[in-house]
Amino acid sequence: MKLPDSLRLTIRNFKVNSDPGTIMFMLGLPTLYLLVLGFMYQSLIPAVTFNNINVSYTDFLMPGIMAMEVMTAGTVGGSMLWSDRRFFMFEQLLVGPFNRLSYLFGLILVSLIFSIIGNAIMLVIFYLFVGKLIFTTVGLIYSILTLFIGTIIFTSIYLIISIKTKKMQTYNTITIVLFFVVDFTSSAFYPITDKTPYGLRLISYANPLTYITNITRNTLVFSSLSGVLSEFLVLTIATVIVFGVALKLYDGVKPGM
Amino acid sequence: MDAISVNNLRKTYDNKKYAVDDISFNVKSGEIYGLLGKNGAGKSTTIKILSTLIKKTSGNVKILGLDINNSMDIRKRIGVVQQDLSFDLTSVERNFKIYGLLWNVKKELLKSRMEELMEIFDLNKVRKNNIMDLSGGQKKRVQVAREFLHDMDLLFLDEPTVGMDPIVRRKLLDYIKMRAKNGLTVLFTTHIMEEADYLCDRIGIINSGKMIIEGNSGYLKENFGGYKTLKLDLNGDIDDLTKNELISMNVNLKNENNKLLITAKNIDNIIPEIIKTVEKHGYNIIKLNMDQSSLEDVFFEVVN
Repeated sequence: MKLPDSLRLTIRNFKVNSDPGTIMFMLGLPTLYLLVLGFMYQSLIPAVTFNNINVSYTDFLMPGIMAMEVMTAGTVGGSMLWSDRRFFMFEQLLVGPFNRLSYLFGLILVSLIFSIIGNAIMLVIFYLFVGKLIFTTVGLIYSILTLFIGTIIFTSIYLIISIKTKKMQTYNTITIVLFFVVDFTSSAFYPITDKTPYGLRLISYANPLTYITNITRNTLVFSSLSGVLSEFLVLTIATVIVFGVALKLYDGVKPGM
Repeated sequence: MDAISVNNLRKTYDNKKYAVDDISFNVKSGEIYGLLGKNGAGKSTTIKILSTLIKKTSGNVKILGLDINNSMDIRKRIGVVQQDLSFDLTSVERNFKIYGLLWNVKKELLKSRMEELMEIFDLNKVRKNNIMDLSGGQKKRVQVAREFLHDMDLLFLDEPTVGMDPIVRRKLLDYIKMRAKNGLTVLFTTHIMEEADYLCDRIGIINSGKMIIEGNSGYLKENFGGYKTLKLDLNGDIDDLTKNELISMNVNLKNENNKLLITAKNIDNIIPEIIKTVEKHGYNIIKLNMDQSSLEDVFFEVVN
């Protein structure tokens, strides 16, 4: 049976990225955040209240960690394009039985797979250590769609960086700095409220990770759909724009660095 | 039938200078065609166009009977070994397996081909090693061997032997010859003239984007070989009178220890006259032989 082009490329991307380094980055860091930060801060923050519901800090943190997994998965697609251009596999594939679009789908699909697997593992770890999961059907659908869209926006962002940077050092520096800036200016670790300084609040609401975290947190932890639809729309529109930019830039990528 | 048909092909990157300038040539099915030229002559650009990686500026190109614009149909039937090393950052064996998957090679077939190629290209010892831990020559071997995993009708090889030791290089050339005998068409570029001489049925030399000469190795040497040297073993060193008479035939002379070396451009035409002159002055010719011009001589002659 002949597998479709994009699927063959996806399997290839998955196999190439299934190395201990990537797996550590994908799972190790979020697990560390979840278990160490989650349990350590719990003694400082006994409960977080939202919509008159109290949850533990670990419960509060969990959706943030899931959103982080989405962002980390996005780096896989971007880094793959970088590495393929650096080591001339991009050209090699484009003289093989593939077109540019199937190559792009291969990058997005592998990010989605890493996102799904990463989030599934995080949920298992959460369940094993905390022992509970809150699901409603609508909440679950929103969460899955959000994680899907979130993966596409972050894959697109990393693709743009990969296309626009020429040097490996520059690429690594930008992605590492971006990773921490996006992480810590989002609502992944703490709620963004009226008490948050105005400037930081602005940055936070310009940050897609905030929307991914908020939607996942509201639907999975607080079982609340309040404000979810508007945040979902903002995230979707932003994703369409960023993906459009990535597509345009990708179209202009010429073989050879 | 022509596997490659190129007519008046031109390519410019900046609308000012042509990297490929009005090139025309054809390659028959099952033929090994060598494209020679200096660095920047336009060889790789030509291969990139013919393998559908970049677009031509003008001209007509047909690959395996298909117009070059049918890139997807062409790509399914060609193999390309680019000049730049290309690989996935994983082990040698995994690189092979992944490449087989990309080309949809059936598992059993992939396994048998992989074993055969590992053997031919002497890669068994490093098959578990990460590609980054290999030497440049070993990486090149992986890149070339990998391309033979899938079926193809036409193979583009852009300087495939760079960094390879002479034994592996010869093995590769013989393997290409064997594949060509079984119907594979090959377009090959190299800077090593002996390789082209050994391998190619026909050779084209390009310079500054233009095709200068084309033909089989014998024809090129015969017609564009430039200077050849006639070696005569005599019963003594020649005197000045004989020397001057020979020099008047527009030749260069070197005479040492009873050996006379005569170098000239069209020496074949004046050999009887040289022999007559030498014998007329009382010298006996003990041994006579002539250095044939090599493909490198041809290259120097036409490119310089």
